[in-house]
Amino acid sequence: MILGLETSCDETAAALVTDDGHVRSNIVSSQAALHARYGGVVPEIASRRHLELVLPVVKEALQDADAALDDVSRIAVTQGPGLVGALLIGLAAGKAIAWAGRRPLIPVDHLHGHVASLYLEPAPLEPPFCCLLASGGHTLLLDVRTHDGFAVLGTTIDDAAGEAFDKGARLLGLGYPGGAELDRLARQGDPEAYRFPVARTSGLDFSFSGVKTALLYTVRSLHQTELAERKADLAASYERAIVTALVRRLLAATEQVGAERMAVVGGVAANSELRRSLPSARIAPLALCTDNAAMIASAARYREAIPYPGYLALDAYASRDAA
Amino acid sequence: MLTLAFDTATTVATCALVRDGDVLGERTTSAARVLEAAHDLLAESGLASEAISRLVVGTGPGSFTGIRIGLATARALAFVLQTPTAGITTLAALAAGSPGALPVIDARRGEVFTLLAGAPVCVKPGEVVVEKRMVCVGDGAVRYRAVLEADGVVVPPDASGAHVPHARWHAQLAETFGPAEDLQPLYLRVPDVDVPRGKTL
Ligand SMILES: [Zn+2]
Repeated sequence: MILGLETSCDETAAALVTDDGHVRSNIVSSQAALHARYGGVVPEIASRRHLELVLPVVKEALQDADAALDDVSRIAVTQGPGLVGALLIGLAAGKAIAWAGRRPLIPVDHLHGHVASLYLEPAPLEPPFCCLLASGGHTLLLDVRTHDGFAVLGTTIDDAAGEAFDKGARLLGLGYPGGAELDRLARQGDPEAYRFPVARTSGLDFSFSGVKTALLYTVRSLHQTELAERKADLAASYERAIVTALVRRLLAATEQVGAERMAVVGGVAANSELRRSLPSARIAPLALCTDNAAMIASAARYREAIPYPGYLALDAYASRDAA
Repeated sequence: MLTLAFDTATTVATCALVRDGDVLGERTTSAARVLEAAHDLLAESGLASEAISRLVVGTGPGSFTGIRIGLATARALAFVLQTPTAGITTLAALAAGSPGALPVIDARRGEVFTLLAGAPVCVKPGEVVVEKRMVCVGDGAVRYRAVLEADGVVVPPDASGAHVPHARWHAQLAETFGPAEDLQPLYLRVPDVDVPRGKTL
């Protein structure tokens, strides 16, 4: 079995996945509530919490799988991209667990992890496919040909899709992180009520700053009572604009690379409008959409393990460019 | 009784292997590579991790990330090896290495961690309470040499080993061992939340 560890942002997670891709346990301790009052993830607070939680989630993952450390043959840990101070906690714990038991270690790229959430049982998706990875930190279109990697076709030039949802939610007074709340409210509104701009960028890149600004100006133009009455319509129209941008580009990318299948992964894959708009796309199960360690263990199945003790000098990386 | 001790809180991380009070070996390294140093020390004595009977870790103060690397490493090792663990403050280890000297650790943002009437504090370099011709050691003493020397303090040369919290002292100072999860990081400062940012992943 593979023990996966993930601490790249504000979820502390551990999971046990069998060599053939069955999830035996998947423990995620989210810090969202802790960061809510700051309206965003505070790296130092996140890191302090990771240290408190990293061993408890490992123990819980073992317990939940009714397994012992002896059942673990290798350790998979997120090396980047993410908050370096947060990543280093998972990496330190992962190295120590691997080294103390003379086990191999597999450093995993977080984005590869998101894609590999699709490779888990009971219904693993086989490459090739075109994949939209949309989360609070990433909006990427990926050409996935093999289990062990992908090529980037497009990305966001400003905000990530999940970030755009959270910022829109804040403008509507829905708190942080408000993406899910905005989605709930949108279901009661008319998505055609407002015509927000669908970002026009060249090629397969995304831009969400325009739609965010449009929402801001609309909110400002409304009186308090008017705003309360139109909130659901605003949420629905805003959501429609973002989802339309995501769907259009995913379809264009799929056509461009000649892929026969589409998939959506990452936290934004939980959005109901997006799921509705892509009936033919494969969408990661909800529990595997937001950051988790099962996806990290899954990705590790397709990477070469570093044998004991060759991994002791590994460092974390903040972005893929620096990797 | 084989003790593995390490401290990753300051500029130079240290690791020592001590058997019944005898220092078998000691290494300086970086925080991210502290286990590599531990591995090499054990290998030189023909040993591996299973031989470790107890752990001692530096709990800070110092670099927050460094402290966490140390504690995450100690807790994970203790979990696998089932070893009791002790925590020693980085200030105590520095002081033990230079009897009579005042430990001064770089706290960044223009501040230092030091001792005031024996208690760990975070102050401006000019607020370090010193007597004339007193010796100050640690990466904070090196960084703020000019300020401290103006107050009549003696700071050993930058390259002096006195500025490093050598892990042999952690091993020597450790008395109370217990569960590694009980060890708390000594941050001495609340998190900086001035610049909240969007969720990045
Ligand atoms: Zn993610």
